[in-house]
Amino acid sequence: MINQKLWVILLSLIFMHQSHGLQHSMSEDYGSMVMSSNHNNLPLGCERISGEENIIVSAGQRYAKDIPGTIYGMNQHEWDVDPCTRVTVTFINEDDVRHQWMVHGLPKYLYPAGMFYIEAMGGKTATGTFIVPSEDRNYLVHCDMTQHMEMGMRGQLVVGEGSGDLWAVTGITDPFYRASYLPDNLIYLSLVVLFLGYSVTSWLVRMRQKR
Amino acid sequence: MQIKNLKKHYLLLFVTLLAMFLVYPSQWYPFDMRLTLTSWFGAENYRALPQSTITPNSQSELACPNDPSGWRASQIIDGVSIEESLPCLADNPYGVAAFVLGTNNVSKETLQRSGLTSDAIVKGRDLDGDGDPDEIHIRLEVAELNGSSPISKRPVTTYDIAPGIQPGIWVFAPKLIGMAVENFETQEARYSLKLPSPAIRVEQGDVVKITLENTHYMPHTLHLHGADHGFIDNTGEGNDGVPLTSELPILPGQSRTYNLTPRKAGTMFYHCHVQPHVHVQMGLQGLFIIEENRPNNNLQTMNLGAGKVRAPSQSLKESYDSEYDLHYLDLDKELGARIQDNNDPRLITQSMHRDYDITDANVDFFTLNGRSFPYTFRESLIVSREGEKAKLRVVNGGSKGIALHTHGHKFTVIERDGVKLPKSNQTPQDVLWMATSQRYDLDLSFINDGTRTYGPGIWLYHDHQNKGTTTDGIGPGGNISAIVDKEYLDESGWPMTRGVGYSQYFSADYYKKKIPIWESYIPSFYAEPAKDNILLFRILLLMLFFGSFLAILRSLYTQRKKG
Repeated sequence: MINQKLWVILLSLIFMHQSHGLQHSMSEDYGSMVMSSNHNNLPLGCERISGEENIIVSAGQRYAKDIPGTIYGMNQHEWDVDPCTRVTVTFINEDDVRHQWMVHGLPKYLYPAGMFYIEAMGGKTATGTFIVPSEDRNYLVHCDMTQHMEMGMRGQLVVGEGSGDLWAVTGITDPFYRASYLPDNLIYLSLVVLFLGYSVTSWLVRMRQKR
Repeated sequence: MQIKNLKKHYLLLFVTLLAMFLVYPSQWYPFDMRLTLTSWFGAENYRALPQSTITPNSQSELACPNDPSGWRASQIIDGVSIEESLPCLADNPYGVAAFVLGTNNVSKETLQRSGLTSDAIVKGRDLDGDGDPDEIHIRLEVAELNGSSPISKRPVTTYDIAPGIQPGIWVFAPKLIGMAVENFETQEARYSLKLPSPAIRVEQGDVVKITLENTHYMPHTLHLHGADHGFIDNTGEGNDGVPLTSELPILPGQSRTYNLTPRKAGTMFYHCHVQPHVHVQMGLQGLFIIEENRPNNNLQTMNLGAGKVRAPSQSLKESYDSEYDLHYLDLDKELGARIQDNNDPRLITQSMHRDYDITDANVDFFTLNGRSFPYTFRESLIVSREGEKAKLRVVNGGSKGIALHTHGHKFTVIERDGVKLPKSNQTPQDVLWMATSQRYDLDLSFINDGTRTYGPGIWLYHDHQNKGTTTDGIGPGGNISAIVDKEYLDESGWPMTRGVGYSQYFSADYYKKKIPIWESYIPSFYAEPAKDNILLFRILLLMLFFGSFLAILRSLYTQRKKG
């Protein structure tokens, strides 16, 4: 407990420069880190902890192999929990490189910068606990290493009924900007079919007129 | 009836032709016709040329953001003394301390403030008993700056090399804990995540391990260009980083450790050797410096973004007062844009490695330590004091040669590609031709003797090939920076220049080619002229009459056909 307070003080100093004065609390263990753990503090609107949810998240490039256009991934990219649930996430990093499981948009009075996250070094497992708020909402979950979210580590945490799916959740929703996968000779193909339509129709019209 | 109709048509044709002739601008008449008309009527009357338009004030960044954290000052952190860095933006001194002691040896507080992971730089035993650690384990990741996203057309994890200029870039990066951006509200890359890849420093004889953790979506390796390393390491693994000859590339999510115990000191180079014609050009390259062995030589293992070395080596301190790492890199904007077009790694790979043809390519941006002018003035100034000496370690990482030129000074080349030149070859010069990937160690002395310097001032240094001083053809830009006497720096570290104001150079519009360069001097001389609306009106009228002319012609044709 004392340690945690100390970290809040230290980190508020550190992130003054980097994150414009936001406060963080975190614990670190063998190079892995859990930031903003919360076991007991209830979000506004929660009278009590409604239940316990244990989520096991495995992450690595292995989970991307079956999803075209991705490089990194998780064993699942959507998690559904009830409002006011105490969620314990066990994050298993199966790669040799760092990965994160980061939730954004949580209430800032409980979670500095509105963020709860777990970071695990290559091959490591880390566990963290937080309590979700009372309202129905979809929260972005991602890995914030450069291009990891863009290349597949993008999920959503749906609390209660949720508030509508986020875009580009891997395997769940479509990217907002989707590349068009079309042959190079599209223009010629289109012209040929255009010509085909024109000639067939004129032929049909002529046949009809003859009759 | 029909003949009457035809006549009407001919009349209308004549009228529209006449109208076209009347509105046709006389300045476009054939040359001979104009001469004849002049001989009959003399010159045409004066019509004032369009007025100058004043460009609306464009948003300008602050030239020198202030330094609330006190990072520029000299300080002692965990017993490591860190030299001052006077220009406006300085490296995080806690990072410097962590690089000197090792992230495994610094205090928890310093490690937290450095933003590094605890395994970023691990320093072990002192093998030769001379007071400094000789087992060094460096970890590198691969980061992408200004890349694409499935939900936005704007680049993500942004890094501006100059105001508003965000080319796609790849870098080797130190292991930084947490988010890659400053915070959730911005897409700006965090301060320590930058171009160029960090300059790495080890000592001659150190037992060095470098683990490349491939956090990127493409295969990569690490090739130690010029540094003494085995083709195969002591575990029998390939160690040269060359997929053609020594080992398979490191795939995304995988890592490999390279081993070396360099016997020779000198300024070397490291880069990725997978599809190097593209990957090296994208920024996967850095300085690799091997310092001579000295007692108590606690080296700053990484110099983020190159620049001034704030905890220099013992051997440096024997002969110099300061040391600067200078990393030149040119960038092709068409190549960088290929990671921004779409988000599918298969399409990006095709675009970069099949569609892109480097033999038809050209470079557009010229960076020094990851930035182009005017940002170079924030971080890459060389600060001089009369009588002092600086050592510059320079690499040209670009795809084209550079002609490095210093104003106000002649420097001496002491080493080339990590090998000392004989004394007889060490003559002062002010232009140095540097081939691609070549390294030079330069002696830059601030001794006012008419050769080494002509005295204190604000003296530019830049690539004297003209395009190197531009950003996509707009000057001043490119790799222009300056050697500035301390007396010419203000409190914030900004040089007290006596020439033009810099505000237009700090606006993105300037480098988007939207600001007429000398407009502010005398607008009527150099601003953009307004458009000639009268001429425009006549041309549109001409088109209108031409349209009716064609319609009448067509009508005439159908009438005659019927007839």
